[in-house]
Amino acid sequence: MSVFRRGSSLGIKSIAYSDTFWAFVLLSPNLLGFLIFMLFPMIASFGLSFTEYDLLTPMKWVGIKNYQQLWLDQTFWKSLWNTIYYTVGTVPIGVAISLLLAIALNQKILGIRFFRGAYFLPVITSAVAVGIVWQWLYNPDFGLFNYLLRLIDIRGPNWLTSTKWAMPAVILVSIWKGLGFNMIIFLAGLQEIPDVYYEAAEIDGANRFAKFLYITLPLLTPTTLFVVVMSIISSFQSFDLIYIMTRGGPARSTSVLVYYLYQCAFEYFKMGYGSAIAYVLFLLVFVATLIQFRFSRHWIIY
Amino acid sequence: MYTRQKGVMMLIIMLMIALSAGMNPVETKAQNKVVLQFMGWEASPFETEGVMNGLKHFMELNPDIEVKYIAGRWAEHHTKLLTMMAGGAAPDVFFLGAEPFYREFQKRGVLLDITSYFNSEFKISDFIPMDRQKMVINGRIYGVSSCVVAPVLYYNKELFNKAGVSYPSANPEEAWTWEKFLEAAKKLTVKEGDRTIQFGVYGLETYPIPFIWSNGGDIFNKNYSECILPESPKAKEALVKILDLRNKYGVSPDAFYLTNVGMSPNQMLQTGKIGMLVDGSWALQELARMKFPVGVGVLPKFKTPVTHGTAHLHAIWKGTKHPKEAWRLVSFLSSEEYQLYFVRDGLWMPNRMYLYTKDGIKKWLNPSVHPAGFEEIADYFTKYLRPHPAIFIPQEAWDIVNEELDKFWHADQPIDKVAQEMAQRVNPILKTK
Amino acid sequence: MKVYLKKVFVYVILVLGAITMIIPFIWMVSTSLKSLSEVFRFPPTLFGERIVWENYISVTKRFPFGLFFLNSSKITVIVTLGQLLTCSMGGFAFARLKFPFREFLFALYIGTLIIPFHVTLIPTFLLMRFLGWVDTHYSLIIPGLVSPFGTFLLRQFFLSIPTELEDAAKIDGCTPIGIYWRIFVPLSKPAMATLGIFTFMGSWNDFLRPLIFINTVDRRTLPLGLAALQTMYSTDWPVLMAGSVISVIPVIIVFLALQEYFIKGITLTGLKM
Repeated sequence: MSVFRRGSSLGIKSIAYSDTFWAFVLLSPNLLGFLIFMLFPMIASFGLSFTEYDLLTPMKWVGIKNYQQLWLDQTFWKSLWNTIYYTVGTVPIGVAISLLLAIALNQKILGIRFFRGAYFLPVITSAVAVGIVWQWLYNPDFGLFNYLLRLIDIRGPNWLTSTKWAMPAVILVSIWKGLGFNMIIFLAGLQEIPDVYYEAAEIDGANRFAKFLYITLPLLTPTTLFVVVMSIISSFQSFDLIYIMTRGGPARSTSVLVYYLYQCAFEYFKMGYGSAIAYVLFLLVFVATLIQFRFSRHWIIY
Repeated sequence: MYTRQKGVMMLIIMLMIALSAGMNPVETKAQNKVVLQFMGWEASPFETEGVMNGLKHFMELNPDIEVKYIAGRWAEHHTKLLTMMAGGAAPDVFFLGAEPFYREFQKRGVLLDITSYFNSEFKISDFIPMDRQKMVINGRIYGVSSCVVAPVLYYNKELFNKAGVSYPSANPEEAWTWEKFLEAAKKLTVKEGDRTIQFGVYGLETYPIPFIWSNGGDIFNKNYSECILPESPKAKEALVKILDLRNKYGVSPDAFYLTNVGMSPNQMLQTGKIGMLVDGSWALQELARMKFPVGVGVLPKFKTPVTHGTAHLHAIWKGTKHPKEAWRLVSFLSSEEYQLYFVRDGLWMPNRMYLYTKDGIKKWLNPSVHPAGFEEIADYFTKYLRPHPAIFIPQEAWDIVNEELDKFWHADQPIDKVAQEMAQRVNPILKTK
Repeated sequence: MKVYLKKVFVYVILVLGAITMIIPFIWMVSTSLKSLSEVFRFPPTLFGERIVWENYISVTKRFPFGLFFLNSSKITVIVTLGQLLTCSMGGFAFARLKFPFREFLFALYIGTLIIPFHVTLIPTFLLMRFLGWVDTHYSLIIPGLVSPFGTFLLRQFFLSIPTELEDAAKIDGCTPIGIYWRIFVPLSKPAMATLGIFTFMGSWNDFLRPLIFINTVDRRTLPLGLAALQTMYSTDWPVLMAGSVISVIPVIIVFLALQEYFIKGITLTGLKM
């Protein structure tokens, strides 16, 4: 690939052309930061999960006690369930809608810039601002959401304080917020598909739907995989929205793993236990991603 | 190309200079004054305003001290305290929730032992019995209670007049029995055909503990080392009777009604959707301003009148560089003068015995806030007040108690099952504390 | 005719969707200009009796929002510029230079993308404490200067640049760093814009990190200030919304300014793997 290797003499001149030297120079800030702020905390987190630590008194080694407790911890399982519920609620619907949106926007339409901007607006807004606005929108008495429902004669529930509806409410906001992002990625993927294929299909007499099914979808599979993987990873990490809107409630119905982790570490004085949860979370995401990549062989078309 | 590079360099240099801001340690001495960092949470703009005014007065009285007050969100307050203490730079004086953070922080040795300071200016026997139990840990004091608050019974006098029901008394000795209470609630429940347009009462499900105690039962044992709800039939009985109000007698609204009416409990009382409301004594501040004839009484009893009290404390960080000045601030915050400002507005209740005597009450009773006959409630806050259980158990355990109770109130789970699970989940936590 | 109808149908759906995206923001602005009592009016109205600009002033009165704005700006700009630099350097190294362990290192980088940030939250806090960076802006800036995601992004982009350009430069006797600085960097405007927007967005909107790492009020960032406007019992919705509007505007401006580059950037980086 590179043409920079120039002999092995130790002159200054050859260092100036040495790949390895420049790689070292260019990569070092990156690598340093990576080692200190990513790799080290990763490993430390693992170590921490075998301790009991409250931040104020000395650390205590407890072996696998945290993991044993975790196994029996009802709140942990509930949070895990909530996380899966949340992911299953956000990802499929979100990906499907953003795909459709991307297809719709892939044509020559008036005001495409406006649309792209509009759909991307929720993405660039902070989760805090989004959470606050939607809290207001979900207000059972004065919120816009229930007001609109009332117009079509539906009595909206007390969204964020109902154990049944809080999670769907949060999921809705999450989908709303993430649509634009996936849409843009799909758009990029769509634009990669050469027009030739479509033209050939037209000659063969394929209609719109057939074109979509047999050309668009298959050729979009790498992009789809990327979108799905990133969406799942990010939904496992969702914290800000829940922290602002529901604080894990009511009665733990929106408490996801990351939220429980935060509570254990910073509210219940159990940092070691929180680290154990963090590690389980990591393993889950890792396994989920691995599975997706394995399975992708069966349906990806390059 | 080069001018742009120059521009970028300039920008970077300016940013570097700006970088230096926000990097230095926080100051503790300005001019000749001692600077105290004081951190609290904002329960409402009114309360913060009151604190700021109080601090202004304090600084006038103590010109050698400057107090910097930060009001944050309650949600993050204790987490912030934790990280600040862990980082070695905590505020000198701060609010500390009694449930359970006062004891949790004390356990970990980060609170200054202010027993000798306290004893030089105050007498613990001056404080109401509940506060003695709350403030004193193993014979030492690490914080001073700001006030006391407790759930009481509010009622809409107009509705009572219409239904011909006599008012519940504010005198604990004359507390309604459960039967009388139920009777009143039934009379105050009005139906129009199939729909109930006025309910007798709301709020017991939010504050069930006083009723459990009143019936002679408890969720925890005496030293809070075990959850005994499964073995306390009296506690279970009280809980079932509360649920009966809604399920059996229809005198208390269900969740569906609540979501549809879309009002706060105070508004429901004001607009006559409910006849009685169980809520904290702090609600009086708002209720008094809502321009309807509201009354305050003690909670109905099963066997004995009782309610639970709590309030935040003011405490000092062990690592403070100015313990003496910090104490002077805490002392001011515990003074009658500071406290009564909030008491007169209905937000707080006093926590000194002498403020509940006939003469003492005159100091703070405010006719535009406190309903007629309010002074009779004095004994409720001195004799019949127990500390809130959440003061003595870890946060995690209390969250589980609420979660399980919620299953009983709203998920139709039988009380025995809920009690079993609660004990099962909570006991391991209580054992390790 | 059928084609025309279909187009209109699609258009209508798009517009409805766009409205759904925008309504919360319109509501945000509308609420921010009402007085508190008007907010609780039913049915809800778009505007109150008069435009209450004072809400925006109230925001700054409650907390030093100007200071928060400055803090957020400073941190975000430094982090964004820093990341653009380190990630382009790193991306170039991975894409064009041959060195031992290159593939392994890159795989490690990709691997960390899977790690949820919160897994490292606790040790990172302890690390900050050890370094004495708690409650300083260092804790937010320094770790933010590097990003495996950004490195990955730019590496993908650099891979797509034709080798002819370098070959010509090498014949002229250019060193690797020269190739990097004189050829690749100028060409990478779209990718840089993309990364720039992502980084800007991430840093500006960061909530959890400042929550844990920053204590002193004067050093807080905008999201913290915004969250702090929520109080325990009663929420001053107009002021809260005004604060939200203030925090949202900068990111919108940056996005609008760089929109074209951004879209191009995503396409060119082949963000699909």
